[in-house]
Amino acid sequence: MRLVITTSALLFASGCATVQKERGHSEVAALVEERIGRKTRWNQGTPEDAQVERHLDELLKGPLTSDRAVEVALLNNPALQSTYEELGVSQADMVQAGLLTNPSLGVTFGIPLTRDGELETEFSLVQGFLELFTMPLRKKVAREQFDAETLRVAHQALATAADVRKAYREVQARQQLVELRGMVLVAADAAAELATLQYGQGNINDLALVTEKAFAEETRLDLAREELALVEEREHLNQLLGLWGARTEWSISEKLPAPPAEEVELEQLESRAVKQRLDIDAARKQVSAQWNALELARSTRYIGRVDVGASVHGDPNGPRLLGPSVTVDLPIFDQRQALIAKLEAQHRQGERRLAELSINARSNVRAARARLMTLRGVAERYQRGILPLREQVVKQSQLQYNAMQIGLYVLLESKREQIGAYRTYIETIRDYWMARADLEQLVGGRLPGANEATEDQAPSHEREAPTGAPEPAPSDHPTPANGHPPSHGGHGATP
Amino acid sequence: MNRLPPDSSLAPREADDTLETTSSEPAGMTRRSMLASAGATLAGGALLLRANVAHARSAPSAPARRPAAPMRKDWLSPGLPGRDYRPVIVPNGTKLPWKIVDGVKVFHMVAEEVEHEFAPGIQANCWGYNGQVHGPTIEVVEGDRVRFYVTNRLPAPTTVHWHGLILPNGMDGVGGLNQKSIAPGETYLYEFTIRQHGTGMYHSHHDEMTQMALGMVGLFIMHPRRPVGPRVDRDFALLMHEWKVEPGARRPDPNEMTDFNLLTFNAKAFPGTEPLVVQQGERVRIRLGNLSAMDHHPIHLHGYHFRVTETDAGPIPASAQWPETTVLVPVGSTRTFEFVADAPGDWAMHCHMTHHLMNQMGHDLPVVIGVNPGGLDAKVRTLLPGYMTMGQTGMGDMAEMGMPVPKNSIPMMGARGKHDVITMGGMFTVVKVRERLTGDGDPGWYDNPPGTLSVAATSEELSRDGIDVNAVPRAEPASPGGKPG
Repeated sequence: MRLVITTSALLFASGCATVQKERGHSEVAALVEERIGRKTRWNQGTPEDAQVERHLDELLKGPLTSDRAVEVALLNNPALQSTYEELGVSQADMVQAGLLTNPSLGVTFGIPLTRDGELETEFSLVQGFLELFTMPLRKKVAREQFDAETLRVAHQALATAADVRKAYREVQARQQLVELRGMVLVAADAAAELATLQYGQGNINDLALVTEKAFAEETRLDLAREELALVEEREHLNQLLGLWGARTEWSISEKLPAPPAEEVELEQLESRAVKQRLDIDAARKQVSAQWNALELARSTRYIGRVDVGASVHGDPNGPRLLGPSVTVDLPIFDQRQALIAKLEAQHRQGERRLAELSINARSNVRAARARLMTLRGVAERYQRGILPLREQVVKQSQLQYNAMQIGLYVLLESKREQIGAYRTYIETIRDYWMARADLEQLVGGRLPGANEATEDQAPSHEREAPTGAPEPAPSDHPTPANGHPPSHGGHGATP
Repeated sequence: MNRLPPDSSLAPREADDTLETTSSEPAGMTRRSMLASAGATLAGGALLLRANVAHARSAPSAPARRPAAPMRKDWLSPGLPGRDYRPVIVPNGTKLPWKIVDGVKVFHMVAEEVEHEFAPGIQANCWGYNGQVHGPTIEVVEGDRVRFYVTNRLPAPTTVHWHGLILPNGMDGVGGLNQKSIAPGETYLYEFTIRQHGTGMYHSHHDEMTQMALGMVGLFIMHPRRPVGPRVDRDFALLMHEWKVEPGARRPDPNEMTDFNLLTFNAKAFPGTEPLVVQQGERVRIRLGNLSAMDHHPIHLHGYHFRVTETDAGPIPASAQWPETTVLVPVGSTRTFEFVADAPGDWAMHCHMTHHLMNQMGHDLPVVIGVNPGGLDAKVRTLLPGYMTMGQTGMGDMAEMGMPVPKNSIPMMGARGKHDVITMGGMFTVVKVRERLTGDGDPGWYDNPPGTLSVAATSEELSRDGIDVNAVPRAEPASPGGKPG
């Protein structure tokens, strides 16, 4: 009986055998916040969810900024929420690893078949013995798996943030492109109107009239297509933000900002990527877990299952017998060589994947930065060269118009060309911000200086939001902390 | 044939005398005067030789020494202004100075780049002579011996062709054909005797298209040794030309073939043209030369009938002269007409090609006559602030609009006149005939005597003559059938 007690005590000693709901997410939240200054939240049907909902409405009420959009997505993106559930799965595995196999209770009844026989009863309690010794190692492996999973989930959150930033820029650009298309339509409409007036006075022929009208009609369709593109981009962002119903009424009032004054050095970016990228970290953890799993397998290769038990045998005619029992696997045929080989291969595979990931990360950072710099250069040429020159072309065209050297048609054409140049500029700026979001993702966090220079024309308190409480309209919220998604970053693991 | 014998061979031909005596025209230079001057032949020849030596020394790179000049002198003593001729008036123009060296009129022409003002508000980099566009007017007298030193300060070779003049073939100035072109930095010498009177011209004859389009042209006035016909009191000389200068540009476009936008008298477009000022009753001669690139110019004078007295080949017999108000001056020609200025006033004189009465107007504009822009202007202004539809009633309003235009351009027409805006530019000037003149300058606008100025009709006048301005306008059939077609 003492053994039973001892075993029970051991069972309790193995400890923390319960599943904690928030476990893992707090680490994710901390990782994400550290990198992009925004918190994530795992909605699990708690009363706090209602606060989050209110906060979402608050975020969507005013004009949407890029940072706010990211925040909304981190709180509300359904794919991300589903990814968070993987943390539960992984955590369950970890808890599982900390549990001993349940002891087996055996009861044997001996029913006499002859008259002189008596009923015999035998009780035995058998518990796998080896587990007690391998458990810490198993728990370590599971823990590392869990950590890796945490990193992967956090990485996913960052990827979603990057997607949001890109979708946000796309919407922002599309809005401006629609506006510009509208101007082109005004120009074409004006030309068609002039043609109609001229035709009414007999000044031009049918060919000239229908040519202008056809052009105006085509321009109208161009605008319709551009507006559709805007709707599609908005819906893309709605998907990323997990919005439906009235919440899709958000608006973006800001225009695409110009690139920040300075860019980060390439050297810094590469090392930063390798250091802080969560997927790389996850791969690293994975390799470590694989090594430990391998070690576990190796250390137990000659030890099979050892079951330790106790049995009580009651014999009516004789004394009651209590005896321990041991069952030992004889590792004669299976010395886990197959398992070990498999684990070794997996470990090597993991190491190579890690190397691949690191090399690719560096390369991708270089490529993304090159793209960023090129787009920046193009944007600057537009800003400093082409756009002012196009403006001059329009201005000089107007003078030439006043001097009756050119007519309204040519004047409008110069305006259209100016608008066209501006369109290309907007597209370039958009691509720049896309490339920047890509680069941020590749580096595994916001670029240094991103907050100061680039956060649109958002009010400064919003720009500073990442680290503090971001509540923009505190009046109807008792405390800023409540308006913000609950934070569990305090005791989260830092990678 | 009022001219000296042709000088195609360097030695004067004996036959010339025969020609001279058989001429039916009054001789500008008599055989007697010719023979009288022949006495100086030897000395003159020696001097000429000396001049050549001097020239060769000053310009070592000049072509090989020319052979000795003709030994027999075939020219007269230099004709002098006031004594032998009344100088022409060149509105807006200048004259080429000369000096007499050993009985020869010596001129120095410098071909060079010139900043020229076509009218207030528009200047361009042109090519001309002696700082002028057009080159200064050359004024000589029949029988003069003239010697032109031509220095080339242009970046390209050039020559001078003496347009319409009778001279030795080697002096005709066609690059490559008659002479080597004058390289930049070189100075060439042209020398010949003036054997005719009338209106000639000069211009570059190397890369003509470019050099003439840039302004290398001028007038060459040759007075008769003795007056011919009635005495003229005012002798104006005008050279016509056409240019393409894009509004805002500063260089005439030599490649233009049709779309000229600066039409000039003496390289000035109205309102840059100086008026031709005349005292009432004076006999006026107007010489017109045309060195435009592509266009003839029908020049029309208001207020008078004139008679074309000379073409560029010489005088027209009185019996062949018609009364006219317009004379067509073809490209490469000169025409001279005369009239007595008996009607005072400000009389327009202009090319009658209406597009030649424009300054730098665009020629490829949408026609918006009759168009009521309605909401169009507001719509366009959303894209182009300050836009305004123009030209709905034609171009007449443009002169007064005062819209900002490209720098260095005079796209709008005309100038303010005494009564209103003169809606003309380009090849337009005013002949100002006055009963009394206080000087040769612009006497200002003409004061029309009472009852001689058109003004708005009064209602009394309308009712007196039974004119109903609101009635359906009437016209009567002009053919017996009464119906057209």
